[in-house]
Amino acid sequence: MIQLNNIEKYYANKGIKNYVLRLVTTTIKKGEFVSIMGPSGAGKSTLLNIIGMLEEPTYGTYEFLGEDVTSLNERKRIERYRNHIGFVFQAYHLIDEMTVYENIEAPLLYKKVGSAERASRIADLLDRFNIVAKKDLFPNQLSGGQQQLVGIARALAAQPSIILADEPTGNLQSAQAEEIMTLFKKLNQEDGITIIQVTHSEKNAQYGNRILHIADGVVKEDITVA
Amino acid sequence: MFKLNLKIAWRNLWKNKGYTLINVLGLSIGMASCILIFIFIRYQMSFDEGFKDQDRIYRMVSSWDYSDGNQFYSQGVPIPITPAVRDDFSPYIEKVSAIQNSGGIVKVNDQHGKEKVKSIENVFYVEPDFFEIFNYKWLSGNYESLKEPNHAVLSKEMAKKFFGNWNDALGKTINYDGNLNYIITGIIDDVPENNSVPLRIMLSYKSLKDRNLNNWGSVSSASESYFKLKRGIKIETLSEPLRLFIKKYYTEKAPGKEGHIFQPLADIHYNERFGNFSGRIMPKKQLYGLMVIGLFLILTASINFINLATAQAVSRSKEVGVRKVMGSQRGQLVTQFLTETFIIVLISLLIASVLTEIALPSMQNLFNAKISFSFFQHPIILVFMFVLVVCVSLIAGFYPAVIMSGFNPALAIKNKISANTGGLGLRKVLVVVQFAITITLIIGTLVILQQMKFIREQPLGFNPTAIAMVDLPNDSLTVERFNRFKAQLKQLPGVEEVSFCRTAPSSQNNNGSSFAYNNSKDADFQVNAKNADEDFLKTFDLKLIAGRNLSKSDSTNEFIVNETLLKRLNVAKPADALGKMISLGGQKKPIVGVVQDFKNKSLHESIDPIIVCSRIERYYYAAVKLNAKQMMTTMKSVEQVWKSNFPEFVYNESFLNDDINNFYQGEKIMGTLFKVFAGTIIFISFIGLFGLISFVAAQRTKEVAIRKVLGASTIELVRMLNGSFLIMVFIANLVAWPLAYLFISKWLSGFAYRIDISIWPFALAMVISMAITLITVSIRSYKAAAANTIDALKYE
Repeated sequence: MIQLNNIEKYYANKGIKNYVLRLVTTTIKKGEFVSIMGPSGAGKSTLLNIIGMLEEPTYGTYEFLGEDVTSLNERKRIERYRNHIGFVFQAYHLIDEMTVYENIEAPLLYKKVGSAERASRIADLLDRFNIVAKKDLFPNQLSGGQQQLVGIARALAAQPSIILADEPTGNLQSAQAEEIMTLFKKLNQEDGITIIQVTHSEKNAQYGNRILHIADGVVKEDITVA
Repeated sequence: MFKLNLKIAWRNLWKNKGYTLINVLGLSIGMASCILIFIFIRYQMSFDEGFKDQDRIYRMVSSWDYSDGNQFYSQGVPIPITPAVRDDFSPYIEKVSAIQNSGGIVKVNDQHGKEKVKSIENVFYVEPDFFEIFNYKWLSGNYESLKEPNHAVLSKEMAKKFFGNWNDALGKTINYDGNLNYIITGIIDDVPENNSVPLRIMLSYKSLKDRNLNNWGSVSSASESYFKLKRGIKIETLSEPLRLFIKKYYTEKAPGKEGHIFQPLADIHYNERFGNFSGRIMPKKQLYGLMVIGLFLILTASINFINLATAQAVSRSKEVGVRKVMGSQRGQLVTQFLTETFIIVLISLLIASVLTEIALPSMQNLFNAKISFSFFQHPIILVFMFVLVVCVSLIAGFYPAVIMSGFNPALAIKNKISANTGGLGLRKVLVVVQFAITITLIIGTLVILQQMKFIREQPLGFNPTAIAMVDLPNDSLTVERFNRFKAQLKQLPGVEEVSFCRTAPSSQNNNGSSFAYNNSKDADFQVNAKNADEDFLKTFDLKLIAGRNLSKSDSTNEFIVNETLLKRLNVAKPADALGKMISLGGQKKPIVGVVQDFKNKSLHESIDPIIVCSRIERYYYAAVKLNAKQMMTTMKSVEQVWKSNFPEFVYNESFLNDDINNFYQGEKIMGTLFKVFAGTIIFISFIGLFGLISFVAAQRTKEVAIRKVLGASTIELVRMLNGSFLIMVFIANLVAWPLAYLFISKWLSGFAYRIDISIWPFALAMVISMAITLITVSIRSYKAAAANTIDALKYE
């Protein structure tokens, strides 16, 4: 599903190249649950951003679903956001001015899903995540864990094939974090959604089935979890 | 999607109530001013519109070129010109008609022959062809009857005034000027106010008795001539026939070379050179000036919006990032942000409409015009408001929308968009532009007020205070009663002096006559002859600098001249002129006195050469100098005495001071407009500034807190926050100065007597703008600097 070949990323500053990623080559297959781990500044988030097409690598090629997407124009990139990729953020990033319901609805509107279909999908998601009662609340009226649930529901609304999560539990207490990770695992196993997450926590990484250890921009270890 | 956009927009606006308020306040005031300006301009542009074939209607006007380079223009033409044009221009023109303005007393009797109405009215002698040129709406009767003398046509309003019901008027008679009865043979619908020929009472042209009926050498602004071109003829083709025409008819030698101009109907309302019967002239220049001010207002308000929106952009960067990764296209984001702008503009429009309605009466007062804010009467206003909303939404909304929608999602999501994105540079430029406009207007206002004060305090060369100008009926019968009337006036307690004269020393009613000095041939310039009795100098407090006053006489026996006349004749010492002969209007009499120059026109114009002489047939006013303490009571007795002497006439008075002030009506309006609009723009600019400093203060809360921990004092912090704003306003001053200089020097050049442009208005504008900036900014930055440090640091 994802094929990265010799991905490099550096920032040139006064002629000195500061490498963030060096020669990263890896393949992620459909249905995998990959955790990217490593110390601060190792390049985890940059790698995730490149996979999410938010940044372009300075060198190397990236194939997504068999197509070269190393540098796509905006229109094509947006098309992939609408249909294939769901993002989950550490700081949830719900839109403050929209209710829970509207937040989940937003990607469907961009995808131009019909209103009946929209309603049923949202109802389904609300139900599944037990947040029906909260659908008319605004993000600031929810706890962190609840906000992240909404964030995930929103990421799932467009029925993506892959979810990219950048430290999804970084701002959460451990009980809530556990709940989110269990949810991810369930989504991965029951719905077959590919998940790539960046995490600091060894414990969270254990929920997935593969761990990429990165340090100083280089993949040090690629472990399959039993 | 659109509905959702609206909803989000509404919540966003509500969340940032403060900024929304500033935007709405600025935009609504700016838009209200624009709407007011628009409806005023619309009204002015509506003059003389709506006639059939109006493009083919022209007015013939006159011009004179003098050998000294002066030119003189008149809206009038010699009375015999109309029949001559009818003959000589028949291949080119369809119809031509003379129209003669006059005023006098109209009397109407009821069926028992008792006097029912007696009033001073403005009347027009018109030829029937006039109605072939202008297609007025006829309610009853027709204009055929005007071919014969002693017929009249009334407007509906007049018919109602004279006969109660306009339906009853046909066939009845009115009496004009005491001696002639006119039969009403037609009623036209009221001619709207926006018309240069305010027809109300129209009399048969054949009834006109004027001593100049055959005189090509006399032109009065009361005699106009209109014509309609034949279809398909270009006005340029008439220039050669006109040249021949002038050669053919102007056979006598005159100091000024006669010329005629065909003035299109559409030009009459705007051309300052020529007047018109309605007395309403609105130079296009002034309309353009107003348009520019309107544009400035909207620009200033839009700049507020742009600045606040781009400043706020950072706080919305996360939303932009999230939306983008959810699959929103840039265009959709632009639409969303524009929707928000649109809502603000729409709310502002509603408030602006209310403000317009509130401001309208004072506007009507100021311009003395019946402008109305009615969509049904003038749907064009609705169109304008629509265009205004769209334009403002785009001007104000487009740039911020483009900036915000252009955020890089990876950075936006991580909150790495810094406060300076969205064009800190541009924001600074816009603030400078905004304040340059504001400061230009401040300087303009200061100069206009200064010039008005200068004019008010300018020595006129005579004393106009407490002088009442009372109309003097002048015909062969009334002249007999002048002496008795004057004697009676002088006896009244409270009356200090009385002079009978043709006009006051300063008047809009001026004439020019050829004359010869000291047996030489006619001078190459004309002289302004003022007819007055021996009390003229005393009453108006005019100063003699040589010779003596006129002696009492009813006819011209001697002349008094002014300094300007002598200067023009190159007579160095006033005393040298005494005893020299002047030939004027067939009279050759000596100069007995020289009077110090006095302003005989508005201060736009310089002083004319003037001759003062007695001539009782030309006394149209009794100038009554009153004791200032008992003016009102004295005027009552003056009126009584007048009525007992001239019972068959209608009394009319005015005060010279008011008349002189009326010369500067245009400037007064201009001054008021500038004060109001400058005030408005200042207000808009400064609330914008307040919004911006609020934002900057909020952005820098953490920085301020850290600096405080490091030991900065509140004053130092306020200075830090204020600094950039003061610099921007200072730069704006530098930008505004040359602009303002150009503008005011142009405006001042329209006055013959004007102030010198000094540094003071500029310096004062700078002090004002800097001071207000300092106050505005300090209020907010002090609050930020004095805020509790712990709260700010804990916040992150």
